[in-house]
Amino acid sequence: MRFRRSALVITFMSSVLAMSHLSTNAQTQNPPPSWKQGMSPEAESSSLHPFNPIFTGTEAKDLQLSKLKVPAGFKVELYSDGLPEARSMALTENGTLIVSNRLAKNVYAVVDNNGKREVKTILRGMTAPNGVAVIKGNLYVAERDRILRYDNVEKNLDNMPGGKVVVDGIDPTNGPGHFWKFLVAGPDGKLYFNIGSPQNITSPNQMQAAIFRADPDSGQLERIATGVRNSVGMAFHPVTQKLYFTEHGRDWLGDDVPNDELNVLSKDGENFGFPFCHQGDIPDPVYGKFNTCAQSTPPILKLGAHVAPLGIRFYTGKMFPSEYKNNIFMARHGSWNRNTKQGYDVMRVVLDGKGKVVKYEPFLTGFMTDEKADPPMWGRPVDVQVIADGSLLVSDDYNGVIYRVSYSKDAKAAK
Amino acid sequence: MKNTSSHSYPRVVAATAATFFLFTFLSNLIFVNTASAADIETGRQKAQVCIACHGAAGNSEIPEIPALAGQTAQAITTALYQFREGNRKNPAMSPFAANLSNADMNNLAAYFASEKRAASIRVSSNDAVAQGPELAKKYNCVQCHGPLLLGQQHIPRIAGQQHTYLLAQLKGFKAMTRADMDGNMSSAASILKDNEIEILADYVAGLNH
Repeated sequence: MRFRRSALVITFMSSVLAMSHLSTNAQTQNPPPSWKQGMSPEAESSSLHPFNPIFTGTEAKDLQLSKLKVPAGFKVELYSDGLPEARSMALTENGTLIVSNRLAKNVYAVVDNNGKREVKTILRGMTAPNGVAVIKGNLYVAERDRILRYDNVEKNLDNMPGGKVVVDGIDPTNGPGHFWKFLVAGPDGKLYFNIGSPQNITSPNQMQAAIFRADPDSGQLERIATGVRNSVGMAFHPVTQKLYFTEHGRDWLGDDVPNDELNVLSKDGENFGFPFCHQGDIPDPVYGKFNTCAQSTPPILKLGAHVAPLGIRFYTGKMFPSEYKNNIFMARHGSWNRNTKQGYDVMRVVLDGKGKVVKYEPFLTGFMTDEKADPPMWGRPVDVQVIADGSLLVSDDYNGVIYRVSYSKDAKAAK
Repeated sequence: MKNTSSHSYPRVVAATAATFFLFTFLSNLIFVNTASAADIETGRQKAQVCIACHGAAGNSEIPEIPALAGQTAQAITTALYQFREGNRKNPAMSPFAANLSNADMNNLAAYFASEKRAASIRVSSNDAVAQGPELAKKYNCVQCHGPLLLGQQHIPRIAGQQHTYLLAQLKGFKAMTRADMDGNMSSAASILKDNEIEILADYVAGLNH
């Protein structure tokens, strides 16, 4: 008995030591670069490199619009150019489109000026203002470290007042990895946002790899999901009002694993596995020793490896055929971390009455020109948004433009 | 017409002048028809201001100022954009970027990218020559900047770049004071020791390909 107990103690101690070794690694002053974390020796000679936006934008005449493909009856056209690194999109109650970005410093509004679309710069000098949401006429912008409120945005587009800080301190390590936030307004009038893992694969601190709810009045935060490596796309189901969110899987486990994820939050405090478990069923080679996949919620849909899912929205418009009602549209940015590229499209996810996925199919494709080329694409979808007329907007940060997908029965009949 | 008016040329007989103008006019027409997003010739003219510091054809001879000749176009537009928007700040550079339109930036980038980079005159120290290649591999420089460090897309050519400029950028990335893209360069520089930054900058600045 005594022997057994000491063996147990030793096992326990070595686990603690292993854990402390990991956390020392993660917290030392000189950690490996965030993207290099977890890279296998074979991958070290890899020539894969990130892609980045053309900040000066692509002029309309140089876009390869004719390459874009949508299902019969649908049409895709340019909605607006001149939006550097166009990423997240939000709508005011009047239908003005707010467009933000991750690496630039301004926030834009696309307004209708006597039938002509015009881009206005409404905020300048922001720090990674990736998240935008509108609640009761007020605009909320999530920078890397805080959330600001701008009152009565519609009336102040030409002269925005100073922002009021609603939430502060949401950039716990001020590091170079996953610092950008996605922001969405919930049906409860509260704000929802992510704080990503600071590195590719690491033991996150209590605030990281999580999704939070913020009360826009008091600034009170609640951590509602953990184990989420990084989510840059969230939307609430129009009927069940449950939070659906995309999640990027870790890098350097291979070209085909792990899958990126579509998740649903069923109750506050749910754990989605990171860093212990990927795609619901692959234990991490290092962290998998400390937890099993059974202890976390699996995704409702595996999206493919390194497809980089970003914005999702439910289709609540009236323009598209009825079978599109409450479908999810998902922008897939496409990843650099794969030898043969995939993604760079907008997917359609069909759910049944119980919220179960019954179909996952391409909706807008043609951005990828050659899966082996460098770069492999001429455009990269980031976010989607359903506007008042029922058409679907798609932002493209690579070119700094927004596309509009519309539907017409006549167009379908003509084909 | 605007193109020619900025040059001084000798007084010529009317017929020659007419032919010249006609030629310029026609070639402009042809150019406009075939030009894509960026226009090298327009960029060349706009670049006359730049070469005062960045050197003839963008081959800088000043250690603090980066060479632009043969730089990737997207790296140049990215830098100009960052200066204009205030992501990067430099008392000498920021005012020049402040008034450039996106089209100006595309044209300038197309022009400098089309110029040939002159050979680097820097002679790297023996230590840098000995240790540089290994460090460039160990710290993933070659992974993104390419095996010869000639850059690609938004990732700049660093081979043969001015030494003091390289040093300042690496130190800035390490301190997270230099504007980055999605954090990869800050991340890469964060683990460099100070003496490794010295060795890398010395090695890279002396590269001639």
